[in-house]
Amino acid sequence: MRKMMLVAGGLWAVAAGCFAADSQANEAGRKAEQTACVACHSLRLIDSQRLSAAAWGKEMDKMVGWGATVPDRQILLDYLTSEYSDAKPVPNPAISVGHR
Amino acid sequence: MYKEKASRREIIALFSAAAVTQAQDVVTIPGKRAMIVHNDRPEDLETPLAYFDQWITPNDAFFVRQHLPRPEMREADFRLRIGGRVSKEIQLSLAELRKLPQVRVPAVLECTGNGRGFYRPRVPGIQWGRGAVGNAEWSGPRMLDVLKLAGADLQAAFVTVNGADVGVAKTPDFIRSLGMRKAIHPATLLALQMNGEPLPDLHGFPLRLIVPGWDGTSWVKWVTSLTVANEPDQGFFMNPAYRFPKHPGAPGAPVDRADLEVIEGMPVKSYIAGPADGDKLSMGATVLRGMAWAGEEHVTKVEVSTDGGSTWREAKLSPQNLPFTWRLWTAEWKPMRAGYYTVLSRATDSAGRVQPFVAAWNPSGYLFNAVDRIGVVVEGA
Repeated sequence: MRKMMLVAGGLWAVAAGCFAADSQANEAGRKAEQTACVACHSLRLIDSQRLSAAAWGKEMDKMVGWGATVPDRQILLDYLTSEYSDAKPVPNPAISVGHR
Repeated sequence: MYKEKASRREIIALFSAAAVTQAQDVVTIPGKRAMIVHNDRPEDLETPLAYFDQWITPNDAFFVRQHLPRPEMREADFRLRIGGRVSKEIQLSLAELRKLPQVRVPAVLECTGNGRGFYRPRVPGIQWGRGAVGNAEWSGPRMLDVLKLAGADLQAAFVTVNGADVGVAKTPDFIRSLGMRKAIHPATLLALQMNGEPLPDLHGFPLRLIVPGWDGTSWVKWVTSLTVANEPDQGFFMNPAYRFPKHPGAPGAPVDRADLEVIEGMPVKSYIAGPADGDKLSMGATVLRGMAWAGEEHVTKVEVSTDGGSTWREAKLSPQNLPFTWRLWTAEWKPMRAGYYTVLSRATDSAGRVQPFVAAWNPSGYLFNAVDRIGVVVEGA
């Protein structure tokens, strides 16, 4: 029983460690997205899309060619691919507040 | 012309969707009703289908597509420069443009990527649904009259049109070249007005190109220069952007750049504007309504199906049949049993083109024109 608890505890520690690493990578990705993309457009343009990793890579390279600053290509690509993957459901459309 | 206000339920649905997604992130667009926001800087706005309740799409409901930050235009400083293959380079003020004969042309403006969000596999770009289209009355001088003032060589192949908007960093400038045949067509305008008002800023104040029957890419906004030339502009927005494969490829397959050609014109297309997708109807007679358009062709027929495409019948087209604009259609329907119905609409045009069941997939998601489809529930008595 004790052995089992140790194993379980160990697994939990590994999982928590992974989670921490994940959220760190996620945070780095989110920052990279801010830095690289907002000079020209709102993040909504990205967040509303759902694309494959290959398609995100192509888009990113196009934007770098147009002057976007991306210090670490992999961090941003991993972020875009995990957050806005084509396997994820499309978000509800954003609706502006109309004039009166 | 019939007119039916968007149902209260549709409007509430719009606002509750907004409340869910944008609780801490509210966007207000001056001069616009509540719109679907794909990008708020610069503004890329889609018209909710509920607003298509009349022939004209009002300015405050009209979709907006911007590639680059919107330029600030000052009426007093504005000049349109005409150069290239001309006998005399000239600059025209707004007052001079207003002195030319003013022509009024109703025409559908549709974003080349309207419906991109329906393609599978998904393609990058704004994920437009059905609302990147509208019909307005545009007025201003003919491009031909403006070209003549400068003694333009009308045998030249192209007129290259540039607006005051410029790219940030190394983003390419938005420049389009129009073949001379279309440039000097009597319906091709440099519009000063939209639906009887000066062009709104978002729609290109004070001057925008109107290319009736062609996709929105050619309709350059904030126009400040025309250059008459024998070669088209070589920039990104002429090549490779806004091109369509000459030969259809398998969905998702890459297309060779040399196999793409410039898009000139629009396909045949129809919408069901009412009832709305997901509506609940009560048993008894109801009216299906919508619109259909076909670029440089005329819509000759709209058919509807209320059984998922097993059987079709002709809708009634509005008698007004002007070039370049859409025709409204209605079809009476009396469902006899309760349940879910798949309702479809399909248009045919004067060139014999018929809306397909499956739009041709292409790497940039242009020209989506599949048969329109909604689902409604008919409730028992």
